[in-house]
Amino acid sequence: MAVVSKADVGTENGRHYEFPILGRAYFLGGRASTAVKAVLTVAGVDEDTIQRVAIACYEAEMNVVLHGRSGYLTMDIYPDRILVAVLDQGPGIEDVELALTPGWSSASEEARTLGFGAGMGLTNIKQQADEMRLESTVGEGVQLYLTFRRRQENHG
Amino acid sequence: MTLAGALHIVKAETLVQAEDEQSPLDGCFAADLMSDVLAFAHPGSLLLTGLTTDQTIRTATIKRLPAVLIVQGKQPGSEMLEAAAEQGVGVYATPLSSYECSGLLMQSGLRPYRKRAPVETAGLVEGGRGGSE
Repeated sequence: MAVVSKADVGTENGRHYEFPILGRAYFLGGRASTAVKAVLTVAGVDEDTIQRVAIACYEAEMNVVLHGRSGYLTMDIYPDRILVAVLDQGPGIEDVELALTPGWSSASEEARTLGFGAGMGLTNIKQQADEMRLESTVGEGVQLYLTFRRRQENHG
Repeated sequence: MTLAGALHIVKAETLVQAEDEQSPLDGCFAADLMSDVLAFAHPGSLLLTGLTTDQTIRTATIKRLPAVLIVQGKQPGSEMLEAAAEQGVGVYATPLSSYECSGLLMQSGLRPYRKRAPVETAGLVEGGRGGSE
């Protein structure tokens, strides 16, 4: 399925990838993150880092699917770290502090039928990433920036 | 315990065969909330769930779980099974409940992979990964 495309662009030290995410396309939720995992595996990134990045990406992707209209995920693989940005257009988050509270959720009942929407997404992401920055403008969207330091010196 | 051994205990029916049923399981985890699976399940575990959507398979793929056991006699749709076959994740179904399966498997010696209990706030979590029972 061509829903997940990737732009594989070399940058100075790293490689840049982009994965589109469709809002409300529930059945596709998780496709981008599965692709992220595949890219990291091929790049020879260590397993612990792959797990952390993939888990965080999956939660962030589901946030876009459940709350946003559309968005995309970018990933930059560097020898020592992996940078991920998940950007969406949508309602945004009114109270970022509150959204970060474990268990707090504004998700619909529909989200819960997919096994998400229990208010643990951002908490999970925060646990996996070494650094996390969450920004939002109400009515415009959300920007989530994550940094993962690689555990081993596998240069992918 | 091998995956095949666990499946026998809970009288599971094969919907999509796992890549290697004879491999030992690293643990077992039961949840319908995929966020919990992502946060707490250990790679190599069998997942017991009542959630029959594609998200179950994507979660299993991302967490490197070899197989999913659908409990309570639920029948997953063809899309979920196709996704599982594509990703190499086994899917099995049992008429038993999650509670009964957990009891039987635990009694037969399949231990959960124990990770440190979650702490109150995310900001305080350090070194939550790893550890063993």
